[in-house]
Amino acid sequence: MNPFEILVQYWPRLLDGTLMTIKLTLMGALIAAAVSPVLALVRVHAASMAQAPLRIYVSFMRGTPILAQLFLIFYGSGQFRPLLQEWGLWSFFRDPFNCALLAFALNSTAYQTEILRGGILGVPRGEIEAAKAIGLSRVKTLRRVVFPHAYRIAWPALGNEVILLMKASALASVVTVFDLMGRTRQVFSKTFDFSVYLWAALIYLCITAIFVLLWRQAERRLSRHIGARHTPQATAQPLKETRA
Amino acid sequence: MTAPDTIVKAEDIHKSFGNVEVLKGISLEARNHDVISILGSSGSGKSTFLRCLNFLETPTSGKVTVHGEEILVRNGKPQNARHIEAIRARLGMVFQQFNLWTHRTVLENVMEGPVQVKGESKAEARDRAEMLLRRVGLQERMQMYPAQLSGGQQQRVAIARALAMEPDAILFDEPTSALDPELVGEVLKVMQDLAAEGRTMIVVTHEMGFAREVSSEVVFLHEGRIAEQGPPEEMFTNPKTEEFRRFIAKAM
Repeated sequence: MNPFEILVQYWPRLLDGTLMTIKLTLMGALIAAAVSPVLALVRVHAASMAQAPLRIYVSFMRGTPILAQLFLIFYGSGQFRPLLQEWGLWSFFRDPFNCALLAFALNSTAYQTEILRGGILGVPRGEIEAAKAIGLSRVKTLRRVVFPHAYRIAWPALGNEVILLMKASALASVVTVFDLMGRTRQVFSKTFDFSVYLWAALIYLCITAIFVLLWRQAERRLSRHIGARHTPQATAQPLKETRA
Repeated sequence: MTAPDTIVKAEDIHKSFGNVEVLKGISLEARNHDVISILGSSGSGKSTFLRCLNFLETPTSGKVTVHGEEILVRNGKPQNARHIEAIRARLGMVFQQFNLWTHRTVLENVMEGPVQVKGESKAEARDRAEMLLRRVGLQERMQMYPAQLSGGQQQRVAIARALAMEPDAILFDEPTSALDPELVGEVLKVMQDLAAEGRTMIVVTHEMGFAREVSSEVVFLHEGRIAEQGPPEEMFTNPKTEEFRRFIAKAM
């Protein structure tokens, strides 16, 4: 079969897998994005003892392979099935999609927490003082001054993290999730035509490229205030793809 | 004890950083329309004292009263910390480094306090912000970001930002020290206008001209204590302490 016939014949499956990959990545990244600001604040402000559990969690997530984390959740939950059933959690863990989502969300939370922590530490101190001096409450100071700066500083690194997560999501195929990689393997096992892997690679590349474009657009918006006069003043390191 | 027109009153303010006692019991009272200049060589504690007034630094002990709101500090713990935000809203502050919010436009900087702290409507806050920016000569710059402004312009925005809160008094922490020499004048001019219209101001400064011509009272700090205090004319023509004599000799 020539490569285009593979595409013509199997595109619905590949499309289905692509959508699953996007869904898995976006949901994982968004869950992490919702939790990490709070954890980042703990990392910046809490007493050293109080944040010890958080530091252990972060080092575990960053220091072990994501595949190992996925297996821990997927096979680990199987081991504790009676207990999980008792707690009514089994229906969640029975679905491999949920296991993969949980693993990715937990992993990305750790990374995003550390990235945001760096961003918060980079907020100009004087601007926080100005907010206090005018009588802004703590919460409003965070919302109006600290986080807008922290996200602008962290933006390129956060973009990298989402790309890494998207590529890591291919691991979900190992626990029988039919994401893009899962569908590709399925097609390959039927056709034994390796060109389907080339198509998969091309689709991954397209997803990344589109994402990078969108992310840069957003970064430009976030950075309007910087160097409005002296134009190409670098804001932070440019968004680069890094290897998983 | 407190005169009815007292706006800011600090009593026996002590402040230590670790084992170093920076402020060794400073009391100061600013009445309505007072313009108090605080002088002193670097390390005398003048900025620290000013920052204790709105609790950007928490004193080790002492009492600060602003417009009847009283905060007593013992062992570095404010007794009624809830009042701190209220006190801050009543005291404007202008910083050495301007500290404008760089991610907001000039206009947004000035509107921020009234809208977010006082809960004013945006329309109302915008009207007053535009009026204040016109007054400090920046009507052309309202939609720009702070990075597009010179230091002198940024400091004038910072003054407008403080004024927008309609404060009872404004604290200035070396407002011209970070400016290029040719930009100092435009900021001093604005401050002089404020003094002339009867604003209550407490100014930490190195500008002898301002202290002498504009202020109603001069306070000289030396090693964490008030070494000398009085009307500027008297102090500058007839310094009583050796320290102040040496200080003005060096500055002139």
